[in-house]
Amino acid sequence: MPSHTPAPASQLDVAANLLALLRDSTTEPRPDDQLEALTLAVAADLPVLLWGEPGIGKTAALTQLAAALDLPLTTVIASVHEPSDFSGLPVVGDDPATQGVPMAPPDWAVRLVRAGRGLLFLDELSTAPPAVQAALLRLVLERRIGALRLPPGVRIVAAANPRSSAADGWELSPPLANRFVHLQWTHDHEVVVRGLGGTWPRATLPPLDPHKLPEAVDFARRAVCGLLAARPTLVHRLPTGETRRGGPWPSPRSWDMTLSLIAFATAAGSSRDVLSSLVRGTVGDGPGLELLASLDRLDLPDPEEVLADPAGAVLPERGDLRQAVLDGVVAAVRARPDRTRWDAAWAVLVRALETGAPDLVVVPATTLASLRQEDWDLPAAIDRFAGTVALSRRADRAALAAEARR
Amino acid sequence: MSTDTRERAGSLDRDKLFAARLHAARVRPYLATALFALHTVESKRVPTMAVDRHWRCYVSPAFVDRMPVEELAGVWVHEVSHLLRDHHGRGDRVARERGLTGVGDRLRMNIAADCEINDDVYGDGLVQPRDAVLPYRLRLDAGRLMEEYLKDISLGPLTLDLSWLDCGSGADGLEREWDLGPDGADGLSEQERDAVRFRVAQGINAHPGRAPKGWRRWAEEAFHPPQPWRDLLGAAMRSAVSGAGAGDDYSYGRPSRRSAGVPGAVLPSLRRRPPRVCVIIDTSGSVSDDELGSALLEVAAIARAVGGRRDLVQVLSCDAAAGVARSLCRAEGIPLVGGGGTDLRTGFDRALRSRPRPDVVVALTDGQTPWPAARPSCRTVIGLFPREGVSEARRENNPEYVPKSPPAWARVVEIGAPGRGQGG
Repeated sequence: MPSHTPAPASQLDVAANLLALLRDSTTEPRPDDQLEALTLAVAADLPVLLWGEPGIGKTAALTQLAAALDLPLTTVIASVHEPSDFSGLPVVGDDPATQGVPMAPPDWAVRLVRAGRGLLFLDELSTAPPAVQAALLRLVLERRIGALRLPPGVRIVAAANPRSSAADGWELSPPLANRFVHLQWTHDHEVVVRGLGGTWPRATLPPLDPHKLPEAVDFARRAVCGLLAARPTLVHRLPTGETRRGGPWPSPRSWDMTLSLIAFATAAGSSRDVLSSLVRGTVGDGPGLELLASLDRLDLPDPEEVLADPAGAVLPERGDLRQAVLDGVVAAVRARPDRTRWDAAWAVLVRALETGAPDLVVVPATTLASLRQEDWDLPAAIDRFAGTVALSRRADRAALAAEARR
Repeated sequence: MSTDTRERAGSLDRDKLFAARLHAARVRPYLATALFALHTVESKRVPTMAVDRHWRCYVSPAFVDRMPVEELAGVWVHEVSHLLRDHHGRGDRVARERGLTGVGDRLRMNIAADCEINDDVYGDGLVQPRDAVLPYRLRLDAGRLMEEYLKDISLGPLTLDLSWLDCGSGADGLEREWDLGPDGADGLSEQERDAVRFRVAQGINAHPGRAPKGWRRWAEEAFHPPQPWRDLLGAAMRSAVSGAGAGDDYSYGRPSRRSAGVPGAVLPSLRRRPPRVCVIIDTSGSVSDDELGSALLEVAAIARAVGGRRDLVQVLSCDAAAGVARSLCRAEGIPLVGGGGTDLRTGFDRALRSRPRPDVVVALTDGQTPWPAARPSCRTVIGLFPREGVSEARRENNPEYVPKSPPAWARVVEIGAPGRGQGG
């Protein structure tokens, strides 16, 4: 009778079991702004460049992202390849003069094209020799590898080390930098600790609301066109100075990318913080922040609407925004002064006085008072401003006291 | 709500507080946005006035009662300065870098941050509050940054009477028990904080004449913190020597090592041609030996790092006339002959006429020189020693002397500004 006593496990099998246990980690959904920004940019089919120190989990994040988007991940370590791996190997056939010399693509590209979809991750861009980088960038920009063309279902993400830590200091020339969405990748202490404990955050593509799409496109166009109409110099501005080299800068191309990103972030209902890193990573800090500031202003109530219904107006809580609204209301009266609008503006200022800090009302009230025309009676509510007048005088006295103490 | 007299005596005098803010905004119009963006929270647990990193301002009613309005205005500006200058973020970074974990360390950070603010925000209509911490009280020089002050501050007899000091978590990054935290009401999100800081910086940059030097420097660097010049110079040089046409490139001169494995394919192979670097040194009287020495060492080290051999690095001293080019390996101590006026054009001429021709020319200068009219036929990096204004003496001695800013075709790196690491 054959007895089935299990053979004693070999040491390697035990080791394999231990390894399996170690690799057994789960994921949890966790709000993570940088992951959400990356996911949105990839969804918008824009080439992303992750800047981050080596070893902080860029590759791990990409693995997560590929799983979340259900795309097969192809990682290509740029630094171990030759230029011909990206531009194609010239293979001499029987009659090159009539048939030409085809540029044979590498196997991973063939597989990627056959699959029709996938996430191509070009890692360690910054340590590859310049000729390799040149070939790679053609791949990013024209989506060509030798004779092959990457299908539209392939998304591209690249990673580079910041200039200060890159041994060979590769940097992008301005035209190339202009085609990427630059995302700074940093590690989150909590995420790392929790991940090493067995639970990594899960990247979830924020669901795009199908009903919001036209509205999102409209909003994005209004935001970008509104800003650029008012600030024509922001349309195209080449980076100057060493510190800003290789980073994002504004051009019609990158504004177009910004427009897509705003539409995606709006349709996905992403937070302003996510949008901020995307926009600043596409057109640069200055123009990006100006765009975000003009978005904030788009959110503010329209002065004409406030004047039309002073009682129902909702004034922002934040003092600086509230003052912007009050200034806007007074400016609207100044632009088209008439008795009813002037009275309505006083009603708005009374509301502001009742619901917030009094010092914000001083300047708009003074300006509004100066707009009075001779036949206009003082509104009944003017008594309510005795307090602000006193406040203003108190500040004047403080100025005198400060002067005296010099 | 109880309204007995004792309670009312302890309640916040909002009119006084906001009159002070109004005065602060009038004398510092460029800070108005930031002052108004602060959300005030009445708190009896705060000793004076304190901010958190979410731009809430906690105010003690008793403190408001005992301060005159004009001093209170100074406190407003002081507190908002902590936030604009990102003292909590910088405090956290310093704590991580230097391994500072104790409560005492955070107090030192608060003191250092106060020194950074107080040494230039008062005056010109703004009264310095009593008890304001000033560098001279700690026997330190004014005009430095929080990180620099921190190195020289230790808790001891000099700081004994400062232990009450508490500007809140917005000043040093340490959470306080009165903090409402990130989930509390009315905090500003990171994006909103950046937006406010950006608007303030924009306001200062638009009218730089209105703001004192400390604020102008802050505004210039708020969103573009300067990088250490060594990194920038290194990057510029590496990019110059590794660009196509200099240094290594692919060649069909010999078959690739992979040719045997791919019959029928024609493959280039990697060949290396070490870059030749010529350093032109401005030896006119205006550049100090110390500056030159450190910059020259840096260039030599970078050239070595990119694979240049020492004999391929040429050094050329140049004032009004160009000296003799020497290779770095022959002269350990390179004689820097010269003095007087500068004309780097002769230096460029000589460098470009030398055979074999250099791949890269690096010019180390204070920029008080005419520049070549056209782009030289090789990559150019200019290491610029910054100078405050133009020396009047030189202008008088040489009426034809016209300093020009470095040309656009060169990559310019400012040398000598200490690496300040953080913005804010």
